[in-house]
Amino acid sequence: MNVRLLGCVFRAMWMHRLIMARRYAFNTLSSMITIYLVFLLLFLGGRALAGPMLLGDGLEGLVVGYLVWMFALFAYSDLAWELIMQAQIGTLEKLFLSPAGFRWVTIFNELGGLVFNFGLGSLMLLAIMLTTGTFLRIDLVSVIPLLLATIAAAYGFGLMAGGLALVHKRIQAAFQILQFVFVGFIMAPGDWVVSRYLPFNLGTRLLGQVMGDGVRIWQLPASDLLVLVATGAAYLALGMLVFARMERMARNRGLLGHY
Amino acid sequence: MTMALEVQGLTKVFRRRGKDPVVAVREIGLQVQPGEVVGLLGPNGAGKTTTIKCILGLMLATGGSVRVFGRDIARHRSDAAREMSAVLEGSRNIYWRMTAAENLGFFTLLHGVPRHEAQPYNHRLLEVFGLADRKDVSVQELSAGMRQKVAVACALATRASLVFLDEPTLGLDLETSHELRRLLRELAASEGRTIVLSSHDMAVVQDVCRRVVIMKEGRVVVDDSVANLLALFRTRAYRFALSDGCPDGLEQRLRERFTGVTMNPGRPFVVEVVLDRAEDLYAIIEVLRAAGVLIDTITQREPDLEEAFLRLMRGEGI
Ligand SMILES: Nc1ncnc2c1ncn2[C@@H]1O[C@H](COP(=O)(O)OP(=O)(O)OP(=O)(O)O)[C@@H](O)[C@H]1O
Ligand SMILES: [Mg+2]
Repeated sequence: MNVRLLGCVFRAMWMHRLIMARRYAFNTLSSMITIYLVFLLLFLGGRALAGPMLLGDGLEGLVVGYLVWMFALFAYSDLAWELIMQAQIGTLEKLFLSPAGFRWVTIFNELGGLVFNFGLGSLMLLAIMLTTGTFLRIDLVSVIPLLLATIAAAYGFGLMAGGLALVHKRIQAAFQILQFVFVGFIMAPGDWVVSRYLPFNLGTRLLGQVMGDGVRIWQLPASDLLVLVATGAAYLALGMLVFARMERMARNRGLLGHY
Repeated sequence: MTMALEVQGLTKVFRRRGKDPVVAVREIGLQVQPGEVVGLLGPNGAGKTTTIKCILGLMLATGGSVRVFGRDIARHRSDAAREMSAVLEGSRNIYWRMTAAENLGFFTLLHGVPRHEAQPYNHRLLEVFGLADRKDVSVQELSAGMRQKVAVACALATRASLVFLDEPTLGLDLETSHELRRLLRELAASEGRTIVLSSHDMAVVQDVCRRVVIMKEGRVVVDDSVANLLALFRTRAYRFALSDGCPDGLEQRLRERFTGVTMNPGRPFVVEVVLDRAEDLYAIIEVLRAAGVLIDTITQREPDLEEAFLRLMRGEGI
């Protein structure tokens, strides 16, 4: 694959994202405000219910859990909705026509999205920390790899949802529900055997240790890191597999541009 | 010489659970030389869009092969994709939230043309398409005609050698359609691009294309030059001006024996008819004589592609 071509496609996707962010600045702002308000509700509700228990460890857990959920949601909905939306407006077919192939188009688009969402996520984290007075340790060297490995699963789900939506146009509504399922994954109790293999679950706990207790990434148990990376890769691979199958099916049935 | 497009035995069958399979395209063969401008005609559901999408790789063909400038699209997808661009059905495949200039910039980059190489030509296209002073307006604020022009400009901007235009004039008013035709004609002539254009508007095809491929029920039924097709009917299309009007029963007698009869009442009363065989000229004059009408003038009528198409679809003349 030729580097010049890939460079151009990367620039195209980045340019598109920046323009859209500018055009939809209001939507971006309002969804950030929503995310913030939901957190505030959760925080106040949690404090009213659990009382002082939510101070200390519990509060850090809540902030980290919410952070992971937010990033997972960003990644998942960015991928799934972008696919659904572009199929609807008919530009998806044009993306498939790129000589770089649709795979690179998507990879570059999500790379841009990652940078973008990381910026937004940091702002949100700052706002949350200021509100709660809980200041987490942001050791970037430890946090970024852990966060990436954790939300890899979200990209897997995004690919699955987007792929399924290409072929089965009417199941989009079901995808809204998935974001609540994510909450379940994140909050599944740590003493269940299966929990660590669930998406986001182990990652959230490791991130809690890093951001709450100041543990560095190399001080974490190697087995935990291994499971985290392996499960993240597995969910992502599953997503890619489902997407490839669905894409083939969509091209067979002529559904890429049909809505 | 390498063909710009070489389609062999292309077949597309849509299978859906619980329904009979639809054979949208059956065993199509098609060869297009570089620089040719080909019109793709056919009634609704003839398989035009399916053919185009299979060539582009947006649909997977059930059988057959497609070569673009000698490269098999299944094996050399990226190389083939570089040679092709398309406007697919209406103005649905550009970004309505972006401006015309942004759309051109995006789609050229997506095709692998660096910005500095794309920009001068993008500028020129915006000029040529009369979009220059509205290039920084969001596409959704443009008129339907302008949007369509942006979509066509986006396909041309990549400078791909083989351009597919699926109904590029759909929904345009007459004036804009004429303008777009002129632009396509000029671009095809000055840049030597290969264009495959589908349309239901015969005038567009007659105006822009040299060659026409007519599809029906998934098959190619005609593949000839526009000139030949018109000539086929020109020699047989006649117009009789009757100075004394039309007596009762003449119309019926004519319709019984000849095809393509049209009656235009007035002074003089004009009967138009397309004769299946040259000898039929004697026969029709005999019918008119027997009816006791006076023939004022006989002229050969200029048929247009639309009539040729309709007659071919009815199974006449081939
Ligand atoms: N995605 C699809 N799934 C099932 N059948 C399809 C699909 N796309 C097209 N068809 C069928 O294939 C046949 C050819 O359709 P196609 O759209 O290629 O025709 P067309 O010549 O482009 O028609 P039109 O002039 O209406 O655009 C039709 O019978 C159509 O119903
Ligand atoms: Mg069509």
